[in-house]
Amino acid sequence: MASALKTYGTLIGFVLVVLFFWIEIPDTFMTAKNWLNISQQVSMLAVVAFTMTIVMVMGDFDLSVGSMASLAGIVAALAFRDGHGVWVGVALALAVGLVGGLLNGALVAYVGILPFVATLGTLTVYSGLAFLVSGGKTIFGRDIPTAFSGFARSGISLTDTVSLPSLTIVAALVLLVVWFTLEQTTFGRRLYAIGGNKEAARLAGIRVRRLRFLAFGLSGLGAATAGLMYASRVASANPTQGSGLMLDAIAAVFLGMTMSEEGEPHVAATLIGVLILGVLGNGLTQMSIDSYVREVLIGSIIVLAVASSSLGKTKG
Amino acid sequence: MDGRRCRPPDRVSDMTLLSINGLDKSFAGARALGGASLEVRAGEVHALMGENGAGKSTLIKVLAGVVKPDAGAIAIDGASVTIGSPADSLRLGLRFIHQELSVVPHLSVAENIFLGRDYPRRWGVMIDWDGLNRRAAAVLAGLGVNHIPPGRKMARLSVGDQMLVKIATAFQDASVEGGAPARLYVMDEPTAALSAEESQRLFAVIRRLRAAGAGIIYVSHRLDEVMELADRLTVLRDGATVATRDIAGLQKLEVIELMIGRRFAEGYPPRLAPVSSEVALNVEGLSTAYLQDVTFEVRKGEILGLAGLEGAGQSEVIRAIVGADGGHDGAVSLAGRPVKIEEPVSAWAKGLAFLPRERRQEGLVSSASIAGNVSLPHLDDLVRFGLVLDRAAEAEQAVDLGRKVKLKSKGPRQKVRELSGGNQQKVVFARAIAGSPDVLLLDEPTRGVDVGARYDIHALLRELTAEGKAVVLASSDLPELVYMADRIIVFRDGKVATTVSTEGLDQAGLAALCFGTPTAPSA
Amino acid sequence: MTATLRMRLPAAALFLSAVFATGAAVAAGKIAVITPYLAQPGTQFYVEAFQAAAKDKAWDVNVIDTKGDVAAVISRLEDAATQKVDAVVINVDPAQVEAGLAAVKDAGIPVVGMDAGASPYLVTNVTSNGYAMAADTAAYVANRIEGKGSVVMFVFDAFPPVQVRGVIADAVFGNNPDIKVLDRVTPDVSDGGIADSRAKMEAILAANPDKGSISAVWAAWDQPALGALQAIEAAGRQDEGIVITGIDANPQAREAIAAGGNFEASMAQDFHGIGAAAAEAVAQTLSGKPPKSSVTYVPTKLITIDNVKE
Repeated sequence: MASALKTYGTLIGFVLVVLFFWIEIPDTFMTAKNWLNISQQVSMLAVVAFTMTIVMVMGDFDLSVGSMASLAGIVAALAFRDGHGVWVGVALALAVGLVGGLLNGALVAYVGILPFVATLGTLTVYSGLAFLVSGGKTIFGRDIPTAFSGFARSGISLTDTVSLPSLTIVAALVLLVVWFTLEQTTFGRRLYAIGGNKEAARLAGIRVRRLRFLAFGLSGLGAATAGLMYASRVASANPTQGSGLMLDAIAAVFLGMTMSEEGEPHVAATLIGVLILGVLGNGLTQMSIDSYVREVLIGSIIVLAVASSSLGKTKG
Repeated sequence: MDGRRCRPPDRVSDMTLLSINGLDKSFAGARALGGASLEVRAGEVHALMGENGAGKSTLIKVLAGVVKPDAGAIAIDGASVTIGSPADSLRLGLRFIHQELSVVPHLSVAENIFLGRDYPRRWGVMIDWDGLNRRAAAVLAGLGVNHIPPGRKMARLSVGDQMLVKIATAFQDASVEGGAPARLYVMDEPTAALSAEESQRLFAVIRRLRAAGAGIIYVSHRLDEVMELADRLTVLRDGATVATRDIAGLQKLEVIELMIGRRFAEGYPPRLAPVSSEVALNVEGLSTAYLQDVTFEVRKGEILGLAGLEGAGQSEVIRAIVGADGGHDGAVSLAGRPVKIEEPVSAWAKGLAFLPRERRQEGLVSSASIAGNVSLPHLDDLVRFGLVLDRAAEAEQAVDLGRKVKLKSKGPRQKVRELSGGNQQKVVFARAIAGSPDVLLLDEPTRGVDVGARYDIHALLRELTAEGKAVVLASSDLPELVYMADRIIVFRDGKVATTVSTEGLDQAGLAALCFGTPTAPSA
Repeated sequence: MTATLRMRLPAAALFLSAVFATGAAVAAGKIAVITPYLAQPGTQFYVEAFQAAAKDKAWDVNVIDTKGDVAAVISRLEDAATQKVDAVVINVDPAQVEAGLAAVKDAGIPVVGMDAGASPYLVTNVTSNGYAMAADTAAYVANRIEGKGSVVMFVFDAFPPVQVRGVIADAVFGNNPDIKVLDRVTPDVSDGGIADSRAKMEAILAANPDKGSISAVWAAWDQPALGALQAIEAAGRQDEGIVITGIDANPQAREAIAAGGNFEASMAQDFHGIGAAAAEAVAQTLSGKPPKSSVTYVPTKLITIDNVKE
């Protein structure tokens, strides 16, 4: 009972935040349309956070996801500008994400650099590359095909006024794939074992280096996917536009980790973390609350959630 | 025969340093202590024995002020006391030396000894390093420890030396704020991570403390050590004191019987089947940074013991064979077929099972379940559709093997973190035999394991060899090697010093071989 | 367990209600001002002037800064639509946030652009007249050199608002038969534009060593003008009467103009005026009489040594 409340404290906090907004904004908050809006608003963050969960399961970090998202958007936009089709641009951006992620993995797993340092380095490298190939400019307007920018505005109509946004569908698919990979496959089991005890996992015959290498590749791929979603949503690509994603994604995973007994990340819990961030952004805007106050609040909630769960753990 | 159960102190009360009477403690309905009593005199080493779960840890936690007893009385020097907090415990002169040391590895020995106190100063501001080191050296010398340089970084000391420093710290911190002169030392498994040589050094220090009039409560699973060091022993079983005895004239078997409440024909299970003539594992010219030209073979059904002082090469041989530290020179063949193993993953794949030395650091993923730990090297055999983990099969495997190793648990999904040391070790064993390997490479398989679990593990080894498995057993527990192994390789400085048959070998003979003393019997 | 709960829940509620109290005023109109660029000086001026005007009108203004995150502008536009504010003001390229603008339009909420760019989603976009600014400085140059001589132009055609300025200056100089455009330079702007403009100008000065061979430098914004000034001073040719003009009148440019050297004129945008005019456009829209033009120009001012101190 006690441990259940400790584990579900963050979830309860989330429910209370939702209830609070429901009471304060009775007409518009608890509507299908608003929740679909929220789902679309958090979709890019969600994809980055879900794939970030994969590396954080092993106890690693990927700080380069934000710059990778920017770089992927730029790569796709440049391909479009050179007259390539939507699928060519998308494939190219995803390939850049995968290769960039695998480079992180190689630095961490085979060269043996701490993930924090390695991905801090590649964060700067990918960001620099994004500026370099774009000449520092925003690529927008006619250069971005409507088939690409239209995707973020499309969706499956549910009723006359409400539709399920395509970006939400993408995020849901990524959630499903990551959940399946982490929770149902031997690949995922092995990642959790590495996170629990790297040395024991290695001695028990797990190819620790190969798995870390691959997991970072997936994180890079996720970052590139989010970068494409972002570029589609703003119908443009700018060398800095993904930079906000990294810290929010790590925050979301941490919020999720407070819900696990062992303090290990699970992608379903990461989803709750993402939703907490998204709902606060949405609800506080609707309540006309200053955007800087919102930042203070979100930061405080993260610290509070993590602090109370660790307090509970040391006492328990 | 056990007529002296819970006997009252029979000496004059001023000799009695600590007396505990009728201690009870329950956690959420489960009884950890029920009528535990203990009496320690000034100037004695008093061993506290019992299986894991017998209540030793709880009793120690009560003394440390960490756990509050439900009932019972504690008296020091005959005066009744209440230990409500660790600070109370410190004030009463109690000191605790644990297996897991809390040292500051980046600071020097002297700084660790004087941590939290004012360092001597020069001109009021600068630390007088020479003065600090001199004081530390004096404290160490007071314990007869002269080989540890006070200026050396703690991290560069061996575990045994770190423990001596820790004892020195406890010994001198009489003037710590709120402290009192140390009267009673509680040592919980202090030798678990020590070599035979380091243990001897520790024992010398303990004897000095005893001579200085301190009382020592000594907890250890190593019966031989207890017989050598202690003056008396108290045995706990199921939370209650079953006996307090003088060591003089006591038989080891008697102690084991007291602890586990059942009678062994011997302390070790008998051999079930003869050794086969077929070679299971052949190692030739194995060399690494630590090893030089190691050659041996193990036959099916054989237990080959690896002995030697700490770091002489026993562990390194096993690690080199499974590729735990990368590549090596020399040839390894399994049942006559040469194999190349550079990573543990290929060792498992080729039918070698490996049980690493450090259970917690190298063996277990403690946040994972029993099933998750058992299945770790065998996940590829537990998949459906090429990649989906078959959880039902995983749990079934854990249940089957758990039964085989006599694992006590709430079920295959229980976290290994919640298990006792002995049961954790059984989980690592279950993992080792899960893939039905041909050869088991075991590094200290019974370290820190209670007597009952130890017997179960030994019995399992007999069963496995009877099935034709070959076992390589590296151990610092000499009786274990003498009674369990068929042959023993003795290592010295990374080389094979000698190979002996255990036929007619006794513990003293093996110890002499390990130390390389000239009186060693020839093989 | 209860300790955990006690800590977490009321603390969160306390935060929220404390914050809520600040935003609860009942007002004549609820206006959301959304921008990713609040940290930039120009935007701060617009927003302050807008807020000052809104105070007179008793509006409840919520300024939302997404700190450079353009996608978040879309999210906040969607939230504003859900919240059913009375009007929205944006300071971002409308082409990048069309998804959000569409949501606001569907909710029947008018959007006014504050130096945002033209878009069918906007009632009107309040901005400075780029055509006029270029014409003013080009005409100043033409008049100062009395309609004859060689002019060096610094342009940047890759960025539409700046490209417009170059085209207008081309027209002004083209209309003076005795003015020759010596070079039309596109500087590398990756370091801000001053250094590369200076290097380019030094090359041009070297190629034209005679006194009077360069009459003027017209720059489409201030940085190249400042670079050209440095090059001329470094070459010791500051006394040849080369006239330099820029656009934007940034502080560095104002300093150079005040010093009385070759840098003679630049154009100042009226940031406060843009904010106030945006507020006026919102007021008109709310009263049912929206501005007719899709662009509302706010006058700009030529800055010379005569008025630079004002």
